[in-house]
Amino acid sequence: MIKNYIKTAWRNIRNNKFYSVINIVGLTVGLVVGLFILLWVQDELSFDKFNTKAPNIYKIGIRGGSGPTEQIFSAIIAPVATSAKNELPEVKDAVRVKDFGSTTFKYQDKIFNENGAFTDPSFFSVFNFSLIEGDAQKPFLDNNSIIITKTVAQKYFGNEDPLGKVLSIIDQPQLFKVTGVINDPPNNSSIKFDVFLPLSYLNQMAYVKNSTRYNGTGRIASMDVDWISFNYDTYLLLKPNTNIAKLQKSLQKIHERNKPDDAPVPYIAQPLLNIHLYKADGSDGGIKTVNTFAIVAILILIIACINYVNLSTARSMLRAKEVSMRKIIGAGKAQLFFQFMAETTLMFLIATILAIGLMYALLPYYNQFSGKQLALNLSNYHIWLCIVITLIITLAASSIYPAILLSSFEPLKALKGRLTAGMGNASFRRMLVITQFSASIVLIISTFIIGKQLKYIRDKDLGFNKENVISLSMHGIMPHYDAVKNELLKQPGIIAVTRSSGNIIDYNNWTGDNDWDGKPANSNLLFHPMEIDKDFISFFKIRMLQGNAFTGAIADSNHLIVNETAVEAMNMHEPIGKRLRIQTVKGTIIGVVKDFHFSSMRKKIEPAVFMYNTSNGWDMYIKTTGGDAQKAIVATQAIWKQYNSNTPFNYTFLDESFSKLYKTEQQTGVLFNLFASIAIIISCLGLFGLATYSAQVKTREIGIRKVLGASVAGIVKLLALEFMFLILAAIVIAVPVAWYAMSKWLQDFAYRISIEWWLFLIAGLMAMLIAFVTISFQSVKAAIANPVKSLRSE
Amino acid sequence: MIKITNLEKFYRTEEVETIALNKLSMHVDTGEFVAIMGPSGCGKSTLLNILGMLDDPDEGSYVFNDIEVAHFNERKRADLRKHNIGFVFQSFNLIDELTVFENVELPLIYTGVPTGERVKRVEEVLDKMQIMHRRNHYPQQLSGGQQQRVAIARAVVNKPKLILADEPTGNLDSSNGNDVMELLTDLNEQGTTIIMVTHSEHDARYSHRIIRLLDGQTVMENIMI
Ligand SMILES: Nc1ncnc2c1ncn2[C@@H]1O[C@H](COP(=O)(O)OP(=O)(O)OP(=O)(O)O)[C@@H](O)[C@H]1O
Ligand SMILES: [Mg+2]
Repeated sequence: MIKNYIKTAWRNIRNNKFYSVINIVGLTVGLVVGLFILLWVQDELSFDKFNTKAPNIYKIGIRGGSGPTEQIFSAIIAPVATSAKNELPEVKDAVRVKDFGSTTFKYQDKIFNENGAFTDPSFFSVFNFSLIEGDAQKPFLDNNSIIITKTVAQKYFGNEDPLGKVLSIIDQPQLFKVTGVINDPPNNSSIKFDVFLPLSYLNQMAYVKNSTRYNGTGRIASMDVDWISFNYDTYLLLKPNTNIAKLQKSLQKIHERNKPDDAPVPYIAQPLLNIHLYKADGSDGGIKTVNTFAIVAILILIIACINYVNLSTARSMLRAKEVSMRKIIGAGKAQLFFQFMAETTLMFLIATILAIGLMYALLPYYNQFSGKQLALNLSNYHIWLCIVITLIITLAASSIYPAILLSSFEPLKALKGRLTAGMGNASFRRMLVITQFSASIVLIISTFIIGKQLKYIRDKDLGFNKENVISLSMHGIMPHYDAVKNELLKQPGIIAVTRSSGNIIDYNNWTGDNDWDGKPANSNLLFHPMEIDKDFISFFKIRMLQGNAFTGAIADSNHLIVNETAVEAMNMHEPIGKRLRIQTVKGTIIGVVKDFHFSSMRKKIEPAVFMYNTSNGWDMYIKTTGGDAQKAIVATQAIWKQYNSNTPFNYTFLDESFSKLYKTEQQTGVLFNLFASIAIIISCLGLFGLATYSAQVKTREIGIRKVLGASVAGIVKLLALEFMFLILAAIVIAVPVAWYAMSKWLQDFAYRISIEWWLFLIAGLMAMLIAFVTISFQSVKAAIANPVKSLRSE
Repeated sequence: MIKITNLEKFYRTEEVETIALNKLSMHVDTGEFVAIMGPSGCGKSTLLNILGMLDDPDEGSYVFNDIEVAHFNERKRADLRKHNIGFVFQSFNLIDELTVFENVELPLIYTGVPTGERVKRVEEVLDKMQIMHRRNHYPQQLSGGQQQRVAIARAVVNKPKLILADEPTGNLDSSNGNDVMELLTDLNEQGTTIIMVTHSEHDARYSHRIIRLLDGQTVMENIMI
């Protein structure tokens, strides 16, 4: 019986090549795109789940700042972790992590940059980063121990035993002995480092030996009494069912007991499993994109299923005779139902095989594009689970209805050609077409709006000039800045050079340690403090609104320049000459600059303050003529070499750093372009099939009309009009949906475009045009056919 | 085998009600060969469809093999039908997507005959209908006469007790028509009951008895000698 089902099914697919191809292509494309997106979604949702203790691990943060500058700090002070572990019974363990960024390590002649962190030894037992080599009980033997990942071990030591090998940091005297190796963190880990040094080493270097940290009363003797440096990512392993609200209060109490003047400091505990997709305060982060993409994937799959349902139900008319005969001969409803199920399943099987083949072929590009490292190997059952579930659901969605419809024909009526089932369901099919096109049009409109917002960001006046500027971190140049600057200015193509303490494109330093005349008691205003050289403001063509820029005079070390927003936030009239303290600088405001974007346009411009201090300049900016930028880079590199013999030369154009800020948005933009095109292509494939069917059914009618004198245009109109009404209905549904979704998306940007009505008009017209071209192809063909022929073919 | 009493069938459209069968009574014995004749629209096909349980009557009784079937539901009728009745139509109604062999095999599949047995029986009946050499052809590749022979093969392959034929020669020339009539006669001689609708007095002469209908009622019965 099953063999017979398959045979019949196969023959039906083969004998109706046109519809089969349309169906299979539509399904395949839909499956490839839908599955790719769902795999991405699945990967995003899987973040940090590999940690077996993840459900009980929380990351600790605090709320700081007040009014417009309220912020969540996800790094906190060091002693909280130790106190929490000692004092709170619900805290089983605590891990602190302090990122030390990319650092150049060396073993014999092998030199590489590694991302590293200082951490507590508990890191290797709380997270699933247990040592695969070394002593799990004592991961770091002493302060000069280092733990590395498998890949790092391979890179430096090849196949030799890494334990006991000694790594050094370029340009520094300390040596580190490898005491442990861990597996590389999986791609879906939000904590990713290559090397780990003991946090006690940082304590030794920064507090005990070099004593760089001070508070109001003097030197801070140890990290564990440093209640002012918010530097440490802190994770707590809790007992199951811990009351989180209570824990947050307890942490706050610990803090306020030890540093009463910080009060109130509300603490936040965020589940580890949330940190990838949610912001620290629990509001939506990446989950928004995940949800959007999941919806898009489902939409595309639905569109593909609808194609199938539409074509197979439409064609059921043509199959009425076959179905009736089978019934008369003795086929039961169930037998017919399974026969049609078999047909759909076979069609799906072909599409699935094609889709999976295509996915294999496209995977490298997809990974490159999405920044993921998905692999379609059979061992990754998550991926296959995702694929199989998707397949089963889409199969069910597209097979059951047509199968029921076909198997429930009344044989007599069908035989006499008086069958209405196929046609009677035209309204159902119309609804499906409307659904398809609504979804496609929503995607088209979204694409337009995303594109427009991105263009807006690109073209918006930032308030400073970033063109043709190269930025680099100075490293060894720092002490020789003046000499290097003079040297650079002599090079062709270099117009100006300046420096500051942070990158102007994405400047994220904060300080709440401030005071000014008339500061309200409850104000916790935060400033972005940036230490700059005297020519920084002119270099970037930042506009001075009031007062003067720095001149480099000695007095400038007590002068401050603020931005408009700062003036407003401090509620200051006549700011020039007013006193303002930022950290240790007790200064006077000498100037106000026009607001400029020193951070992503997702955020409103915040209060910023410039201080004149050249000893902390870390970022160097070189303005080139543009045309000679390449020469300037070569010259800079040569000079760099003289002062940084070992550190690799790295530079970026500010324009590039700027684009990187919006990488996600740009990706979203490109993806939506792609999704919208695919949705419309699949929808049009279906429409094409329906139009063909419609023309086929009406062949005779068209023939008679032509014999009676109808014009080609009249006949095209007859065939196309019905479909154009459907598209019109789809537009009516799509517009409000798209408007709603896109206004939500735009809310993420403090600076955004307004949604204009003509975007909808263009999207609608585009859909109409595409649909019209699709339909008229068939309609015209039918209309110009020789009527004698079409009449005879009946 | 068949006994119908006061059978009525109406077709209602929005405005008019057509009486297709009007208190019709008749009976057919096992082994008979009956022809039904009458002008177009008198209800012959309607009657045949009801006899074949493709349709149900509005009023009256229909006893088939001592079972009252007039008010059987679709499922029960289908079951009775597939084991007892074979159909032959004027327009052959073969399934275009299936070969000759597969068309004939289909009723056996639906009644759950095992594969080996199926092949044997299909070959047997194709042989008898003399279309064995065409077994792998598709219906469009056959002449009308050949198609009708396949249709008959399909109708008899399940060894039904009753064959209903609605103008089986209507689309055939006289020579092919005669062949079909010979086949039906053979089947009848081997014990199959046959009820045939026809417009041709010539064809009707192959039967034992002619029932003449007019406006949904029996007007006359002739016994053939
Ligand atoms: N589905 C239907 N709806 C409405 N009226 C019908 C339907 N089927 C048949 N009729 C009517 O019932 C009557 C009998 O039809 P039937 O098909 O049985 O005639 P017939 O004797 O087979 O005619 P012919 O020799 O032309 O085939 C006719 O008047 C016909 O119009
Ligand atoms: Mg008839």
